[in-house]
Amino acid sequence: MTKQAILAGVILVVLLSAGAFGQDRPEAVVDSSNLTGAILPAPVTNIEAKNHKYDDGERIDLFWEKSVDDPDNIFGYKVYRIDKDGASELVRELLPGTTEYFDEEVENDVPYQYIVAVVGEAGEAPSEMTPEVMAAWEFFNFSKLNILILGFIVCGSVLFFISSAKSGKKLFIRKIGGLEALEEAVGRATEMGRPILFIPGILDLDDVQTLAAITILGKVSRVIADYDSKILMPVSRSLVMTSARETIKESYMSAGRPDGYNDNMVQYITDEQFGYVAAVNGIMVREKPATCLYLGAFFAESLILAETGNSIGAIQIAGTARPGQLPFFVAACDYTLIGEELFAASAYLSGDPKQLGSLKGQDIGKIVAMSAIILGTLAMTFASAWELGFMQSLLDILNSIFVTN
Amino acid sequence: MDWQIFGVWLAAFMTLGIISFLYKDNVFYKAAEAIFIGISAGYWFIVFFWDSMVGKFYVQAIESPEPEHHVWVGLILGILMLARLSNKVGWIARWPLAFVVGATAGLYMMMFFVSNAMVQVQSTIMPLWETGDGWFTVFNNIVIIIGVTCGLVYFFFSKKHEGAFGVAAKIGIWFLMVTFGASFGYTVMSRMSLMLGRLDFLFGTWLEMIP
Amino acid sequence: MNTRMKEIIATVAIVAFFLICKYVLPKPLEFSPLVSNLIIGAMAVVFIIILIRTLQGKYIERRIVFLLVGIALLLPFFMQFDLPLQVSPEVKATYDALESLPPGSKVLASFDYDPPSAPELQPMADAFMQYAFENDLKVIIMGLWPQGPQQANQSIEAAFVANPALREKVEYGVDYVNLGFQAGNEFVIVGMGKGFRSMFPTDMNGTPYDSIPLVKNITNFGNIDFSLNFSAGKPGTVEWVQVGVDRYKLRMAAGNTAVQAPAVYPYLNAGQIVGLMGGMSGAAEFEKITGKTGKATTYLLSQSSAHLVVIGLIIIGNVAFFREKKGGK
Repeated sequence: MTKQAILAGVILVVLLSAGAFGQDRPEAVVDSSNLTGAILPAPVTNIEAKNHKYDDGERIDLFWEKSVDDPDNIFGYKVYRIDKDGASELVRELLPGTTEYFDEEVENDVPYQYIVAVVGEAGEAPSEMTPEVMAAWEFFNFSKLNILILGFIVCGSVLFFISSAKSGKKLFIRKIGGLEALEEAVGRATEMGRPILFIPGILDLDDVQTLAAITILGKVSRVIADYDSKILMPVSRSLVMTSARETIKESYMSAGRPDGYNDNMVQYITDEQFGYVAAVNGIMVREKPATCLYLGAFFAESLILAETGNSIGAIQIAGTARPGQLPFFVAACDYTLIGEELFAASAYLSGDPKQLGSLKGQDIGKIVAMSAIILGTLAMTFASAWELGFMQSLLDILNSIFVTN
Repeated sequence: MDWQIFGVWLAAFMTLGIISFLYKDNVFYKAAEAIFIGISAGYWFIVFFWDSMVGKFYVQAIESPEPEHHVWVGLILGILMLARLSNKVGWIARWPLAFVVGATAGLYMMMFFVSNAMVQVQSTIMPLWETGDGWFTVFNNIVIIIGVTCGLVYFFFSKKHEGAFGVAAKIGIWFLMVTFGASFGYTVMSRMSLMLGRLDFLFGTWLEMIP
Repeated sequence: MNTRMKEIIATVAIVAFFLICKYVLPKPLEFSPLVSNLIIGAMAVVFIIILIRTLQGKYIERRIVFLLVGIALLLPFFMQFDLPLQVSPEVKATYDALESLPPGSKVLASFDYDPPSAPELQPMADAFMQYAFENDLKVIIMGLWPQGPQQANQSIEAAFVANPALREKVEYGVDYVNLGFQAGNEFVIVGMGKGFRSMFPTDMNGTPYDSIPLVKNITNFGNIDFSLNFSAGKPGTVEWVQVGVDRYKLRMAAGNTAVQAPAVYPYLNAGQIVGLMGGMSGAAEFEKITGKTGKATTYLLSQSSAHLVVIGLIIIGNVAFFREKKGGK
């Protein structure tokens, strides 16, 4: 047994030595001089350099097993890159404990080699040099195939329903509480001879909630134009101002009253959140609108606005997809469009095939999500409680569908 | 005159002016409001001028030794926005608007689809119970699964809320209301913090009474 | 006396009150335990009176509510009570994540808030900054909100005041850097994923990126060990998760205003962020766990007393509601 062990040891040493002599040792590129007489730390092992898959050819991934002296007897690691001419460059110094480095400063289709040196008190202990590796460009990222397929399912459904709606097929959307109240609220303001305040949130046109608000504004302003009521619309974004003016103008024109429109209906106040709120509060208490509509993206101002609106006795209808602000609208307003109901309301009121189709297509997405959650939960419960193989397989399939890494 | 002290007194006056709105609209509030709006509009103009016009355009496209030529596209789109000032060519302003909306929609589609849909579905898939789980964990897991599923049912627009589907939707809205309650609590906390900041300023920085 | 006259008298009284506070009362003002207890007792009596009047159908005006909340927030500033505080798992997770970083780690701190949200977020930022400097973490500061980087500078100053030795120890450009604000919301994060340099050609002071020792070798998120985001809204934590974490695999924790925290919890539960500090309580817990007692701990007493007042008013409000309902029937 002892003899076998000795023989095995000798063979190992010979093999390791052969391996060492067979490789280009990196003395020329790293400082491995022993200045203090201290012992060099153990080098890293199993170093491997790989082309990063599915990218635009600008990254090489480097992996290694850390030095046995890590973390107590080392200062860290140094990564050296050697190009095809043999010139080496220190690309990064890393902390102890690190076992990977992603080099993102490489050129496409150029061969590189790497050395990782362990830095200790005595100097640097270099690793073996990796074989040549090139960063290659891939056209298609197969690791995200599942996202593409799911995206196709949802977007495909949206497109399908849009084309159905365009072809004249009537798409059913359930009744949304609060929508009937819109016209009633406008009518009430007209009867009282007081204005309607419309706040489209405080985000810009790049937010889908603002877009939904502008769509609803189109319908509301049409009713206002028909009733000859007055609308006040202070906004906090210049782009929203221009688009709201255009929308209201169109409504007045389609109502056959282009003379009733004027640009002052929509006024830009300021981008500053609380400056805007202060101004809207002021407008509310001075103009005393009979109806306040808050539709769009709201933040801290939601409660301040709804509370002021409440104090002046206005009918208030709100709608936002910001979950943090919904509680205040629910508490302080007469009707609230919760989350996606805002978009549904926009689709419902406009009857626009694109919006209707999007809503129906998203419903397909919800069916997929609900099914996955219910199936996955059952599969995971049964797989873990009774170790059922087919349940585990089902779970693996679901995981592979929803994995995002 | 010590401008720092003047600044503190002015800030205190402004704070009290805004707080006076709690009583009713008044001249102090109106003054503070007008000053605030004016200053903030001016502030944002300056911020955007230096960060966008100078920082993003002038520095990158003109001053830099390696000019970024694509920045000119942004400038041209920005100038097109000004077409709105003219009644004749105002329609051109829709192009940059379309660019902003389109680019953002494209970015958001991936962001929300991955972060808010796929990752959330994956993390909601959980065992109702596992060996060694306490009753509280089991209860929590069941609540999460029912809450998420019923919440999704409420936001399903293709079917009327009636029968079993209606019951699920009703459970969904109950879950939403409970969530809103918790959220309300958090926000009350936040609003108190805003007020605390001002009180700390008034009674600490200005009146120097806080230990 | 007409209303106008009453209002003038009230205004004069308020001005007189502040002048007395400024020029007559002792500074700083501290209540003895006896006075503190008397005040608490008086508040309780006020509530009982309000409750009795409500039961009699005499409701209080909304301005009284504002006044009560204001008093509840203000008076604890001058009281000396210790509040028991339990550190929540999500705050502990934030601290543990910071603790696990070896000295020299590069931490990206994005300050995405402005002065109105400072009461909640500044204490977290102050405690973090002091912790980072004391533990030799290299801090790279930036902001998606224009005023964010200025708030960061205040935190740096607060860290120096709390521990004067740090002023000598840490060096700008080597131990920390303030890259400043960049407009563009989440597009900035997308751009940083490709390269920090293109988004921040210079730091806040105009120093070129490549001349700053701390960042010259930092290409993108791959070179960042950890990230902490102080956020008051949009753009903020949600955008950082969606782009920084989910796309570029950034390891991140967040400090949020209480308003925003409920919207961020799903990301915490899904493991997209490692820790979360929510609102003033989150800030106070973070101060406690890092051992750097600051304003959040002081504020928490005021906040708790205001919460008690709010709970009391909710009960009274419900009494009024059910009384009216019964009367209506």
